[in-house]
Amino acid sequence: MIAVRHRPLARRLTPYLAFARTAFVRESTYRIDVFTSVASLVVRVYLLRTVWFALYAQNAAPSGIPLHAIVTYTTVALLMSLVLEVDGTRLIRDKMRDGTIATDLMKPISLPVYFFSEGFGQTCFHALTIVPALILALFIVHVDLPAPSVLAAFALSFVLGYCVNFLLNFIMNSVAFWTLETFAIQLIVRWISDLLGGQIVPLVFFPAGPLQQFVLALPFAAIYSTPLLIYVGTIPPAHYAQAMALQVLWLVVFGAFGALIWRAGEKRIVVQGG
Amino acid sequence: MPPIIRTTELRKVFRSLKRGSGVRGTLKTLFSREYEEKVAVGGVTMSLDAGELVGYIGPNGAGKSTTIKMLTGILVPTSGSIGVAGLTPHAQRSENARNIGVVFGQRSQLYWDLPLRESFELLRAIYDVPRARYNENMKHFAEILEIDAFLGTPVRQLSLGQRMRGDFAAAMLHDPKIIYLDEPTIGLDALAKEAIRTFVERINRERGTTVILTTHDLVDVERLSKRIVLIDEGRIIFDGPLERIREEYGTHRTLVVKLVDGEPDPYAERAELESRIGNVARLKFDRNAISADALIRQVTERSNVTDLSLEEPDLEAIIRRIYTEGYADPASAAT
Repeated sequence: MIAVRHRPLARRLTPYLAFARTAFVRESTYRIDVFTSVASLVVRVYLLRTVWFALYAQNAAPSGIPLHAIVTYTTVALLMSLVLEVDGTRLIRDKMRDGTIATDLMKPISLPVYFFSEGFGQTCFHALTIVPALILALFIVHVDLPAPSVLAAFALSFVLGYCVNFLLNFIMNSVAFWTLETFAIQLIVRWISDLLGGQIVPLVFFPAGPLQQFVLALPFAAIYSTPLLIYVGTIPPAHYAQAMALQVLWLVVFGAFGALIWRAGEKRIVVQGG
Repeated sequence: MPPIIRTTELRKVFRSLKRGSGVRGTLKTLFSREYEEKVAVGGVTMSLDAGELVGYIGPNGAGKSTTIKMLTGILVPTSGSIGVAGLTPHAQRSENARNIGVVFGQRSQLYWDLPLRESFELLRAIYDVPRARYNENMKHFAEILEIDAFLGTPVRQLSLGQRMRGDFAAAMLHDPKIIYLDEPTIGLDALAKEAIRTFVERINRERGTTVILTTHDLVDVERLSKRIVLIDEGRIIFDGPLERIREEYGTHRTLVVKLVDGEPDPYAERAELESRIGNVARLKFDRNAISADALIRQVTERSNVTDLSLEEPDLEAIIRRIYTEGYADPASAAT
């Protein structure tokens, strides 16, 4: 008979909160990083503003999105990247390489949840940089502030996108179970997601029709594009449910795939000895 | 009381893709699916009682680490069975993890860029150690291991000796029933080695923690364990008390003779002159062939001697002999 210890949920979560807290503290020791990421963000805000102003001067409102909305879109996208570019699952690759995955497997914890809390702790720290970055950005550009209900929908959609992003990173880093190296695959996925994720150019700029529909349905759109289009109002409240249902769908698909790949990777270690 | 650790005919076979060498071989590897099998552990049966301290000894590649990995649950055996404190480690890895502590000499489980204290706090959360018990343990470990001085230092800045002491405290924080030590004193200076040995000795004696110690440093074993298990090529070749191995294989002793200036080499029947450097001669003899007493009498009668001393064989020499000659139980060999 297997004796299963039943612990209250709060106590089972304690280690993961501790991981998140530790990641937060560790991240805060790299102060130079914070300054450079905020500074580079402000520069990018300025550059993109210049680009869009120039483009709009040539050809007014290409897709029916007014200039102030596109500048808002770009700036909010850059602020989102402050937390979305954090990748706690890099640990999988690092731990596979130096072999410490073995000592982690000897602990009574769920490693995927550990990686998530690690990333979450880092994210929380980087989220703090959003405020100063936003204040600096406001000197350069005007950012529209939507109605509270829209903002709430954006926040919810952003959380969903955050989770999709985590799972995408998780899957890519899990490739290290077989290859030890994930640089190439990450680079390729990064290129594709930059192009198709709507971080730089809104996906509604793709020619209307099947191509745009297709790109909007891809998982990359679930990370940046959906919350951003909600923010600037391109997705109207009537379509919120539909848009977020698609995000949830990707979350479920990636979740299932992530679980499969993790189980296969773990099996590989326990059978082949890593 | 049933044994706390029990393995029956435990086997682990690794299968790897056969790799060719050179350009042609490499190209062939891309298409062929030929596998090579390597037996890492080939049928290990042993049992340990709670509170035992056992030295698990063997040359590199003998299968020591593979056995430990199976006992911790991170490696699934190819065949055979394991029971650790009533659990099957690989099937109940998480439950098993609460019963065990592990220290690898070559690998730290501390968090690299955090102060040592933060690693302990994290482990407290992972194992759900009550605060009072945690404080008690920390106080106790601080006393034996003297870790107080560097609790606030990031692990990456610690010396190897400090880091190992931190690793030992980390492994014992949740009061495991069993602790696996894999080469725990490797690369340490004499002082740090001694601190670690004292710690292991005390937790075994005071807390009744069962200890499995794998090491190349046989001084660790001599200092700590009463029982040793010798493994070679995946099989146990000896399992028993340390004294027995010494009695059966440590039959060669050395009489060190210091002679008066200009004295010729000492001579005795059934003893062999091993070396002569200056005035010091070394005579090797078999305890079963001649007693030390008789040998000393012979030597002192024939030579002018200023000093005598007797050297016991060191465990390392004995074990080296077993590996090269193979272990045969003298009791059964006699019949």
